[in-house]
Amino acid sequence: MSQIFHIQKQKNILSLRADIVRAIREFFWEKGFLEVEVPLIVRHPGQEPNLSPMEVIVKDERNKEYQGYLHTSPEYALKKVLAAGYTNVFSLGKCFRNNESFGGDHNPEFTMLEWYRKEVDFHALMDDCEKMYIHIEKKVHKKIKEVSWKRLHMRDLWKQYIGVNLDMYQTTEAIFALCKQKGYTVDEKETYEAMFYRIFLNEIEPKIRETPFLIIHHYPKQMASLARISKEDPLYAERFELYIDGVEIANAFSELTDKEEQKQRLKKEQQQRKEEQKETYEVDNDFIDAVGQLPACAGIALGVDRLVQHYTSCKNIDDVLVLPMSKIFN
Amino acid sequence: MAETAEIKKGAVIRHSNHLYVVKDFKFVNPGKGVAFTKTKMKDIAAGKTIEITYKSGENVDIVEVYKKTMQYLYKGIGTYSFMDKETYETVEISEDVIADEGKYLKEGLDVIVSTHEENPVAIQLPKKVIYAVKVAPPAVKGDTASGNVTKEIELDNGLSIHAPIFVKEGDQIIVNTETGEYGGRSTDN
Repeated sequence: MSQIFHIQKQKNILSLRADIVRAIREFFWEKGFLEVEVPLIVRHPGQEPNLSPMEVIVKDERNKEYQGYLHTSPEYALKKVLAAGYTNVFSLGKCFRNNESFGGDHNPEFTMLEWYRKEVDFHALMDDCEKMYIHIEKKVHKKIKEVSWKRLHMRDLWKQYIGVNLDMYQTTEAIFALCKQKGYTVDEKETYEAMFYRIFLNEIEPKIRETPFLIIHHYPKQMASLARISKEDPLYAERFELYIDGVEIANAFSELTDKEEQKQRLKKEQQQRKEEQKETYEVDNDFIDAVGQLPACAGIALGVDRLVQHYTSCKNIDDVLVLPMSKIFN
Repeated sequence: MAETAEIKKGAVIRHSNHLYVVKDFKFVNPGKGVAFTKTKMKDIAAGKTIEITYKSGENVDIVEVYKKTMQYLYKGIGTYSFMDKETYETVEISEDVIADEGKYLKEGLDVIVSTHEENPVAIQLPKKVIYAVKVAPPAVKGDTASGNVTKEIELDNGLSIHAPIFVKEGDQIIVNTETGEYGGRSTDN
C-alpha cells in the first residue's frame, strides 16, 4: 500500500522529473551529441577507494558463471567510445553503488548524466552546465529565472573563507600540520584528500550555501583523480565541481590522456583499497588502452536526481524517485 | 571508542570537551573523493547547535546514555510531561529536547527517553504510531481524474499529514514517525 501511495503522492514531481529528463536530452541532441546506451553490467568495476560496486552473477546458456558488477558510472564505457573515434557523446541512465544510505542525499540506484566534449578543456563544460540549466528552466517553468553563477578557483575560496593560502598546503605533510594546528584529530597515514576535506567540509562548505550557483574549479593536484594537471597553474588539476544550493551536483575534468599515468593512479587506488581491506578488482586493460587513445577532451558526471531535487525543492532524494530503496526494502 | 557508523539521532557525543546530542546526520559518499558523516549536534549545556563533519570510519567518542521507557501524559508550558514507567514519577522534558518529535506525541504513547546524568537529552518514538483521523474532507467525484490523489487530513493529536483520498474521519491510520508519511490503515496490516 505505501508503495502505491508514494507514487500517487509524488505524481506532480515525477511528471516534472520526466520533463526535466526530456529537456536534458533535447539540450544535447540540439548540440549534436550522440546518446550512448552503455552496458550496466561490467566485468571491471571502477575502483575508487570509497565505492562499493554491486555484484551480479551472469550465467551463459551452459550455466557457466561469470562474475560481473553493476557499473558505478558510465565513465569506462564512454571513454572507450571516445577512443573508438566518436565525437561528442552523452549517457543518461542508472548507476549503482552499495553501502550508500537509503534516502537523504543518496539512493543505491541513481541516475547519472555524463557527457564528453572533444578538443576542449573543462571551461567548455562550465558553459554547458550554465546553458543546460537555463534550457531546463525554460522548458519546465516556461520562463527564465535570473540566475547568477559564480566561478571560483579553489585557492580563492580558501583565501576568502578561511584566510589560508592553499598554494602552501600542497603536500600531505603540510596539510597534516594545518589540520593539527586547527585542532582536528588526524592520523598521519590519512590521504591528502581526506585531510583536505576535513577542513573543506567543516569550515568552507557550510559557508558556500550562501552562493546558490557555484562552480569551484582547480583542485589541488593531489586530488586530480582523472583530471590532467593544469599547464598554467601546475599546483592544480583541471577539475571542477558544480554546487547548487550547497549540494554537490557534478564533477568535471579536463581528461587525463596519459596511459601510464592512468595505470599508476589505478594501481594506487587498488593499493588503497587493499590497505582499507576492501575488495580489489583487476585493472581494466581495455580502459587503459582507451585512455592512451583519447583525444584531448573534457568530461563531466552530473547527478540527475539531485538536479531534479533542486527544481522541485525536494530535500530528500526519495521524493524524486518512483520507488526509492527505503520503500522497496522497508 | 565507537565509529561514525554508530552515529544516530539522539546519540550523545563528546567533542572538544563538550557534550553534544545528535539532532541529524547524513552519510556523504562522493564517487571521486572521501566518505564523510555530516552531523548537526546540539551542545547539551550551552544549547547551541553546530555542524561537525567526521571522516567515515573515524573514531567518535559516543557517551553511554541511560534509556528508559516513559509514557506521554500532556503538554505544559515549554515542557512535555511523561510518566516514568518504572517509578510512576512524572518527568518534565523541555521543548528544546523534544523539538520536532513533539508533533507525533499523543496521550498514552510510550517513548524511549535517553538520559545523561539524569537529564533527559533525547526521545525516541516508535517507528509506527496509530492515530485516529479527526478531520478528513470527503473525496469529491472527479478528484482522481483531475490528479488530486492525496488530501490533507488532521489526526486526533492535531498532527496534519497527506493521505490518500479514500481515508475517512474515524479511520485508524499508521504514520511513519521517521518520515512523517502515511503508512496505511491500521486494519490493512
